[in-house]
Order: sequence, then C-alpha cells, then structure tokens
Amino acid sequence: MEPDILIIGIMGFLGLISVIATYLAVTEKNLVRAVIYSAIQSTIYAFLYFLLMAPDIVLVYVPVAVGLYPAIILFLIRKTEHEERD
Amino acid sequence: MMSRVVGVIVITLFITVFSLVIALGGLGYVLPPESVRELARQYLLIAYNPFNKTFTVFSPEVVTSIVWDFRGLDTLFETVVFYLAIIGSVALARGFKSSKPEKDISQYGLSPIVKTVTRVTVGMILAVATSIALHGHLTPGGGFQGGATAAVVPLLVLVIFSRYYLETRGVSKNAMLAIRSFGLIGIGLTAFIVLIIGLMSGMNAYVFQNQPKPDAPVGLPALFDGQIISGTLWFFNLFEMFAVAAGFTIVFLLLSIPERDVFKYLKEEGGEY
Amino acid sequence: MIDPITYFYTVLLLSMAVNLGISLYGIFYKPSLIKKIISLTIFSDTANTFAIIVGYIRWKAATQPPQPPVLTNLNPTEKDLVTFASMSVDPLPQALVLTAIVIGLAVTLFLVFLTLQAYRLYKTTDVREIAKLRG
Repeated sequence: MEPDILIIGIMGFLGLISVIATYLAVTEKNLVRAVIYSAIQSTIYAFLYFLLMAPDIVLVYVPVAVGLYPAIILFLIRKTEHEERD
Repeated sequence: MMSRVVGVIVITLFITVFSLVIALGGLGYVLPPESVRELARQYLLIAYNPFNKTFTVFSPEVVTSIVWDFRGLDTLFETVVFYLAIIGSVALARGFKSSKPEKDISQYGLSPIVKTVTRVTVGMILAVATSIALHGHLTPGGGFQGGATAAVVPLLVLVIFSRYYLETRGVSKNAMLAIRSFGLIGIGLTAFIVLIIGLMSGMNAYVFQNQPKPDAPVGLPALFDGQIISGTLWFFNLFEMFAVAAGFTIVFLLLSIPERDVFKYLKEEGGEY
Repeated sequence: MIDPITYFYTVLLLSMAVNLGISLYGIFYKPSLIKKIISLTIFSDTANTFAIIVGYIRWKAATQPPQPPVLTNLNPTEKDLVTFASMSVDPLPQALVLTAIVIGLAVTLFLVFLTLQAYRLYKTTDVREIAKLRG
C-alpha cells in the first residue's frame, strides 16, 4: 500500500467516524453525554487538521474546542437543566 | 436505542455508496488539485525573501505573516469582536459578588493527590503557552494559540482548588480586566508606532506598517542582535497573549459564582425573582 | 477503474456535507437551548474544515507529501524559495479560519450568558414553553 493512498484513506475513514459522533451528539437526550460526544468529534477534527498539514489550526483548535467549549457548556448545564425533554 | 444504531448504519452506507457513484462517473476535473492558486504562490514567495526587500515581511512562518501583516486589519477587527463579547458578558453579570467562604479554604476542592499533581503541571502549561506565543513568527503558533493554552490554567485551578483560593491569590475580575486593557492598549500602540516614528522624523509612514516600503522608508527592525523578530509581529503576539488569557479568565470567574449568591443579589435589587 | 485517491477524497467531502446537514437539523428541530448551542458549534467547525480541505494539494510522487507553510531553511537561495512555493499547501484559508474560530467563540460565549439569564427569568430552557409564556 503506497503512502499517499494510506494517508488519504485514513482521512476518509476519520470523516466517516466524525459523522457517527455528530449524529450521536445531536440525537442524545442526556445533555452531559451530548457534550462528551461533541468533544470526541472535535478531537477527530483536530487529527484531521494535522493530516491536512495545518499546524496553526491544530494549536488553536485543541485548547478551544476540546478544553474550553465543553468546560463552558458543562458550567451552563450544571446551572440549568440536565435532560432534554421530548 | 435500536433506531439510533439503524440511523448510524444507514448514514454510513449512504456516504460510501454515493461517493463511489460520484467518483466512478468522473467529475470533469482533478480532485485534489495539482497546485496552489496564484495568489497563494505569491504570498509563499514573498513572506521570507532576503532578495526582495520591497515586499517581504522577514518571517519564515507564512500564516502568521498573513494574519498580522498582509491582512492585519482583519485581525484587528477580530480582536474588536472578541472585546465586545467579553464586555457584553461583563455587563450582563454586573454587580454580582460572591460571599465569603464558610469553612477553611484548604477544605474546599478535590483530594490532595489531585491538588499535588495540579501544582506540578500548572507551571509546565504556562511555560509551553509562553513559548508558543513568543515563537509565533518562527514556528507554528502565535498570540491567540498561546493565550488559549494559557487560559486552561485558571480553569484547572478553579475546578480543583476552589474559587476562594483564586480570590486570595489576587486573581479577581478587576485585576483581569486591568491586564486585558493593558494587552489591548499594547496592540493599539504597536499598530501606530511606525506612524509616530515617521511623523517625528518628518518622513512618510502608514498605519499598521511593518517593514520599510518604497515611498515610506520607516519601519521596525527585522533583526535584533542577529535574531529574527520580524518587526511588529513579536510585539503583536505578546500583547495578544495577555489580552486573550485575561479575557477567558474573566468569563470563568463570572460563570462560577453560585446561583444562591446571584439570587440573593437579584432579590435585593427588587423585581419578581 | 476509479482512482482510490479521488474516492477517499470524495468520501471526506461528502461526510462534511452530511455533518452540515445533521447539525442544521439539530439547530432547527431540537427544543432545548443548550442542544442548539452545541449544534451551532458543530456547524461552524464543519464550515471551517471545508475551507481547509479546499487548500490541500495532490502528492507530487508516492513518497513526497505536501509541506506545511513553514520555511525551515533560514538562508534560502532563489531555487529553494521556488521549490517551497510548489510543495506547500495553501496558507490563505488557514489564516482566514483562524479569524473565524475566534469570532465563533465570541458569539458562543455571549449566547451562553444569554441562556443563563433566560433560565433565571423563565425557569426553563425549553423554547416551546418560553414561546407560550408571553401571550
């Protein structure tokens, strides 16, 4: 297997897994679990940015989308409601 | 539960089969493209070019030179938008004060194992964040990346120790607002400094200028004692790191006030809470 | 037959498009304000990823990947610069995405504070109940 087919194949596979993570994040009723699925999707995006040769964006994306966004939304969930109704 | 598994399988099959159909039919052009666009090629050629002193920025990191020199006005207005968001949040939460701690401060927070590990890693995170910010003109990094990484430290200390610990250490909302204002004043001053130097020595100069240009022969030096600092880029990165880290700390301090203090303040003000 | 590089690239582009569709569905049809904020962050991140995918170029040979836009040689000759300009990915979408991430972050921060204030006033984060309250 040549390196270029392998790397772009991994990119396609990561795209598929990010679709699964997004679907689970949007259709989950328990809000804390939805935030964790969204953080998994952000980690997959960060690895995708690394494979696409964009190191500046990786350095912005990892603290912001994996560290600060879930922290802020978890503060918000703790002060308001935990479950989404039908 | 079963419907979600079925939904996931259906979506995955749809993507793989539909892209096979598209790739078989041919798209008429080659994907991914063979070479970059002409504008990108020009930016790549003149970002660090010792032979072309007219247009160069003298920074081997092309993305930072686009963000702070070729497209500097975009970044200035992005900083203004971030400033407006922080000011709006501070205005929505004005007047809230937190009460004094009831027990001894060392009894709040998580277990001693977590506290000891946090004491060790906080210094390392701050060192890495400063290195990312200050080397932004040589390696991937820059002001915003360093500021966002340095903003993880107050969040960790807030959750693991308590917010009363941060208050006794001097990290309060007003101190962070002062640091943020210092960072923003620094950015504004660095944007105008070449103009001030030009006006004082009687030569032509522009706002947001970095290196000397043909009809404006004033600029900040690109080399300092043999090291590359690329003119205004180093100062922009330094002040942006202070501004961003302080802004995030303000948001976390405002979000961690307990709800019963908030309702006590709102009932004192009046209104139907 | 088909080119495997084109096939995998199309899989990536189509999964980004499906991500856009799912997050739009989440913004419109889910009644909780917090779920709307989560879907909005996924939407803006997917749009940024689209922009960076556009900047990628094809490999020149099977073992020569494209380079990130950072020059490593601090005393280049003219030929070095031309080689660098032909092997590197596009730096312009990366600079614009940097600005876009910061602006999305600012809007989300403000939305979080507004949601907190709405919960303190109406005691619920369900959009349908808030719509029924004021007549």
